[in-house]
Amino acid sequence: MIQRRTLLGAALAAPALLAFGRAAAAAEDVPIGIVYPLSGNSAQIGADAHAAYDVTAEIINGRHDPLPMLMGQGGGLARLGGAKVRLVYADHANDPQKARAEAERLITQDKVVAIIGSFSSATAATISQVCERYEVPYISADNSSPSLSQRGLKWFFRTTPNDANFSQAMFAFYKDVGAKTGHPVKSVSLFYEDSIFGTDSSNIQRKLAADNGIAVAADIRYRANSPSLSAEAQRLRAAGADVLMPSSYVSDAILVMRAMNEVGYHPPAILAQAAGFQEQSFITGAGDLAEGVLSRSSYAGDAVKTRPAIIPVSALYRAKQNKGLNDNTARQVTALQVLADAIDRAGSAKPADIRDALTRTDVKGVDTIMPWTGVRFDATGQNTDGTPVIQQVHEGAYRTVWPAEVAVAEPVWTVGQ
Amino acid sequence: MTDARAPAPAPRRPNAILRRRRRELALGAALLAALAALPWFISDVYTQNLLILVLLYAGLSQAWNVLGGYCGQVSLGHALYFGLGGYTSTMLLLDLGLPPVFGMVAGGLVGGVGALLVGWPCFRLSGHYYAVATVVVGEIGYLLFINWDFVGGASGLTVPIAGRSWLYLQFGVSKLPWIYVTLGFAAAAWTVAYLVEGSRWGYSWRAVKDDVTAARSLAVRVFPSKMAAAAISGFLTGVGGAIYAQYVGYIDPDSILAGSFSILIALPAVLGGVGTLWGPLLGSAVLIPVSELSRSYLGSSGSGVDLMIYGGLIVAVSLARPAGLVSLFGTRGLAGGRGRG
Repeated sequence: MIQRRTLLGAALAAPALLAFGRAAAAAEDVPIGIVYPLSGNSAQIGADAHAAYDVTAEIINGRHDPLPMLMGQGGGLARLGGAKVRLVYADHANDPQKARAEAERLITQDKVVAIIGSFSSATAATISQVCERYEVPYISADNSSPSLSQRGLKWFFRTTPNDANFSQAMFAFYKDVGAKTGHPVKSVSLFYEDSIFGTDSSNIQRKLAADNGIAVAADIRYRANSPSLSAEAQRLRAAGADVLMPSSYVSDAILVMRAMNEVGYHPPAILAQAAGFQEQSFITGAGDLAEGVLSRSSYAGDAVKTRPAIIPVSALYRAKQNKGLNDNTARQVTALQVLADAIDRAGSAKPADIRDALTRTDVKGVDTIMPWTGVRFDATGQNTDGTPVIQQVHEGAYRTVWPAEVAVAEPVWTVGQ
Repeated sequence: MTDARAPAPAPRRPNAILRRRRRELALGAALLAALAALPWFISDVYTQNLLILVLLYAGLSQAWNVLGGYCGQVSLGHALYFGLGGYTSTMLLLDLGLPPVFGMVAGGLVGGVGALLVGWPCFRLSGHYYAVATVVVGEIGYLLFINWDFVGGASGLTVPIAGRSWLYLQFGVSKLPWIYVTLGFAAAAWTVAYLVEGSRWGYSWRAVKDDVTAARSLAVRVFPSKMAAAAISGFLTGVGGAIYAQYVGYIDPDSILAGSFSILIALPAVLGGVGTLWGPLLGSAVLIPVSELSRSYLGSSGSGVDLMIYGGLIVAVSLARPAGLVSLFGTRGLAGGRGRG
């Protein structure tokens, strides 16, 4: 079986080698582990991620017209003799124990040279520990809990901004827009669900509000997937802050918008910690109520002028999943792109060489599909150039309004009017 | 099986029971020896992990079996004692630097006390009402922990990576020591079940399970005997929780206090044979590999075939062998075959 496959591979590779006049032997594939929730309550996230990674691997490996992005020229990893990246998927079902076992399996059985994951921060905690023990790089594409990069791990690299970066951007936005319009933010209401996401997010926002001299008018923690948020809406109305800052998943996001409408409360501004507010079903579900809502994002699908690769990559993704890239899938594309670049620069498929190359990563934002300044890792493995953006719902779609370098429109600012 | 259907089976002669127990003990010892030798033939990390999980769940399920099987108090809140054990040992390690080998015992004690505190009000309920109450208590525990910042709240607790040490249960990438830790746990749980099965308590529990009123008329002190079963069950579950926390290296309320864990703990015993010595191990040896292997080798397609196989297996066994897989071997525990349906 193996022999037949090898022969088949050689037969297929031979004409290509002749055509390109290369004397090198056929390069071996570079296996990369991808660990996501492919079953369970986050299975849709996993299915979308699967498609995003497949698209990226096709861009890196395939023969096609060059895309205006790093690794967009196709044809595999040039410095490894055109070796292809081979993705090995595993399902962690959102369980830290299973995530751990799958990471071990990928490293010991499939001999992956790096692992990318994993959507939830709890599973990233165990996968990255396994990677540390086996000395294999872990690339965090979309885990946003700040504590992950504060554990002193040497093999942990996070391309995405974390929740601290996101909230810092929100308060930087307040400062900017306040100076520009003369209507600064004086008070905020924090409203967050009780899992790791909402808790972490609110802790940072509370601290940043204090640092920036902004009062916290209400500090409301609610049970995720609540059947009703009417009491919470009443409290938000009583607090009457300049800006409501929610950290919620989609069902709660729609519910709180409706509940506030029912009690006749329309906050001057809403600036959301992405998540539920960034989903299409929120805009559909909240309808007119969503108009003018602000949300941070790490991805700006409308920034096509400054990031030309967005159009072709998004089209490839749409062909698979029948929808455009979103905040999650765009970050997943970028994580594999950054890793492939590091393997290529290392010129080696040894985990230690890849780690060295990762620490020297210096990718410019314009070479990615992200609105970031770029990708560079600090000593903790956190990308320091992953600058988030602020978007605003306008006529049923989000458009990027901040920072000015990638914005397509001015923000509509309703505080103090 | 005629005697099983008889309304009152003829009492066996004492020496028959003794012979039978001696046979169980010999089988247990032989199996222990075989399992202790087995790791030397397994070098693959994935298979080792599988063995560790089978042994861990065999122990946990045996712990559940003491209360849910022998004593007949169906608890669906064992995740609470499991979580208490995991959190206690991890907090003692993080805050006081207490090695998990000792933290394990502390975790067991907290788990046992937790089971007593839950039992105090809940054992006044019977049958389904008791089962529902344990579900609710488990959920309360989950909510308390997720909102309690002192124990990490929703963010959970990470066990720091340290050098190799038996005291701290840290073995680098080696899995062999973990096999022995979990084997020790499963063997201890089995031994406890074996001892209580033949003890006065064991007879009291089975009497309570079969008919509370009849048991009371025979001077069985119903409430204390339920509490004793709960304490033993809670202790063992707490120890298992501490082992799990150290093994996985990360705990949060969702991964060790969720209601689904209570089901996972009870399921091997239910499938293998409730109230039998071998049911939990047998159930675990079938369920865990099916669930893990199907997820690893079919789950990555995202099609859900792995879950269909897992669910289908449970349905098939429940239909074909309502008394549990143990009945395939013709063995019945001393409690087996009676009082259920």
